[in-house]
Amino acid sequence: MPWDYSDKVLELFKAAVQGEAGTHMGELENPDGFGEYGSIACGDTLRFTFRVRRHPSDPARDVITEARYLTFGCTSAIAASEALCCLLEAHAKTPVEALQVTNQDLVDFLGGLPEQKIHCSVMGAEALQRAVADWARKRKYPMAGLVPDLAAEDAREGRIVCSCFSVTEPYLRRKIKELHLHSIAEITNALKAGGACGTCHHAPGGLQDLLNDIWGPAPGEQAGHGRQPLAEEGLSAYQLGRQVEAVIRAVISPMLRKEGGDVELVDIKGYKVYCRLTGRCGSCPEGPATFKLLVEQQLKEQVDDRVQVVTV
Amino acid sequence: MQTVYVDNNATTAIAPEVLEVMQPYFTSEYYNPSSMYSAARTPALAIQAARETVARCLGGINPEQLLFTGSATESNNTALFGTVLANPARRHIITTAVEHPSVLEIGKELARRGHDVTFLPVDRNGELSVDDYVRALRSDTLIVSVMMANNETGVCYPIAQLARLAKETDAGIVVHSDATQAIGKLPVDLESDLQHVDLLSFSGHKIHAPKGVGVLFVRQGTPWRPFILGGHQELGRRAGTENVPYIVGLAKACELAVAGVADEQTRVRGLRDRLQATLEERIPALEINGKAAALRLPNTLNLAVHGIEGEAILYELSRHGICASSGSACTSGTLDPSHVLKAMQVPFTAIHGSVRISLSRYNDEADIERIIEVLPAVVARLRKLSPYWDGKRNCLKI
Repeated sequence: MPWDYSDKVLELFKAAVQGEAGTHMGELENPDGFGEYGSIACGDTLRFTFRVRRHPSDPARDVITEARYLTFGCTSAIAASEALCCLLEAHAKTPVEALQVTNQDLVDFLGGLPEQKIHCSVMGAEALQRAVADWARKRKYPMAGLVPDLAAEDAREGRIVCSCFSVTEPYLRRKIKELHLHSIAEITNALKAGGACGTCHHAPGGLQDLLNDIWGPAPGEQAGHGRQPLAEEGLSAYQLGRQVEAVIRAVISPMLRKEGGDVELVDIKGYKVYCRLTGRCGSCPEGPATFKLLVEQQLKEQVDDRVQVVTV
Repeated sequence: MQTVYVDNNATTAIAPEVLEVMQPYFTSEYYNPSSMYSAARTPALAIQAARETVARCLGGINPEQLLFTGSATESNNTALFGTVLANPARRHIITTAVEHPSVLEIGKELARRGHDVTFLPVDRNGELSVDDYVRALRSDTLIVSVMMANNETGVCYPIAQLARLAKETDAGIVVHSDATQAIGKLPVDLESDLQHVDLLSFSGHKIHAPKGVGVLFVRQGTPWRPFILGGHQELGRRAGTENVPYIVGLAKACELAVAGVADEQTRVRGLRDRLQATLEERIPALEINGKAAALRLPNTLNLAVHGIEGEAILYELSRHGICASSGSACTSGTLDPSHVLKAMQVPFTAIHGSVRISLSRYNDEADIERIIEVLPAVVARLRKLSPYWDGKRNCLKI
């Protein structure tokens, strides 16, 4: 089904792709704030830059005048990037005020997003936070307490919980609380974590464990998974295999090479010997049948008369 | 704006000839084919005739080996679960990592129920290694299930060879193939080259019949038990009152599909090849998924566009009236890109940028021209927005 995008999403997407006047596609040179979030492997990335009108003495009174983005992503990721820039430019916000812009503001500006696309708006808010942190560093503005200490979070790196999208435990803990996420589905919609292979949903230390730890265990939630290892199968054909190899090497291969061909052993199961005819014999129309007889006869005589040859 | 429909591996337009033969069974000939009054003979005979037609299309097999189902998905479920029901002693199943979900998910479910399931990998071209397959065969293998052709890339698998190798390993191994994408594009002959295939599935709506009807071939003597119970229909092998108009339509569609294989292999292949060559020339950093495979469906073109995302491409194509599809995560409803492209190890810079174009007998030169006119420009515009594209040097920037 086509995604149920709002008119606003489609309008912003179209304007952005057409590069219409007033849209914000691009990257500012020497920006006052630079923030990037996402990765190409995960399916979306937003690179966000902004410029401020600097206040001569007080960085807190810098005002954002220009915002630009480059986005690798789907229709709603591109529309959300456009929305972010529109919101910031329209209200002449200071970088500190800009931090008040949440993913919900972007969703509202867009006239709503499908649930599974909420992560597109979260990406906008994350890139913005990173860009403001960059601005603060450049302007030597004390940010402690204003934004989560992203640098420290990155430095700690933390255990990766969702390996498909490289989402770490510290990040998940922060976002679960910030966005009030109470189920695995909500986490996946907002942060993508758990959206691919699903292994982390109920693994020890996985998404459910984090939810339980933060909000208390959900009713009926129980631990204990894991499968029994599979039974081993079949007999070892070690001795048979060695003998078959020896006969092929010493007798059969030399015979075939005289004809410009050769034989390749693929597998042995019980008394079935799987081989492939190569070289000139492989393309000879008489090849497969003659080959099978010849190889089978040699192996029956020299190894075991129960041997059967299967041509691959 | 005229619609250019090039998503025929997803579904197809109903052929006018098919619609026509279905009509009477919606109106005057509505009787239940199981009823005793003489009027019920018409629909009962129509089903019989349809079964004979489909049997002829599959190489002149005995029609009693065919059952009509509600979809290829139902056929696959019936084939696999029916075989498991009949063979409790065998525990090993071989399938591939690139099957349609209606086989892949059954494989995963059977693994959860304690079966040992081998998912054969594919290489960068989307092809299986026959050696890997041979080594996976076991004395307790129950089912080998490999599709004839992949729905996303069009890559074809050597079913005749795989089936023979299974039977030569152990006559008790049941061979199933999902032929949904193959019918009408490749010859499918269950009496000659596919003589070792026991179970074969396909649906009507990929060959210009309506959605909601499928076929399952069960070779006589196959250890298999019915899966849908509760009625004597289809010789007791698939319960439920027969969907007479759709069955009649499917048979007509089969006839047309088999007659159209030559057109697919020549004219449609020509269209696809020209589109492929032109797009390769006009779109930088473009790969064709499955291009190097030994055999590929003549109608399918799977593009890997580096540096942009497939859903955005589809929306732009859609605005220009072109209907195609993508294996991108954003189009699937999950966050995971196509399992087929992942199995092929399509590079991470292109796995989210896949576009599938799949043609049918109703596509022509004008459609190809339109795609050539629109697609390269759409890709260029989206790349301007991408942080991973170097517009100055016109190449990927990672």
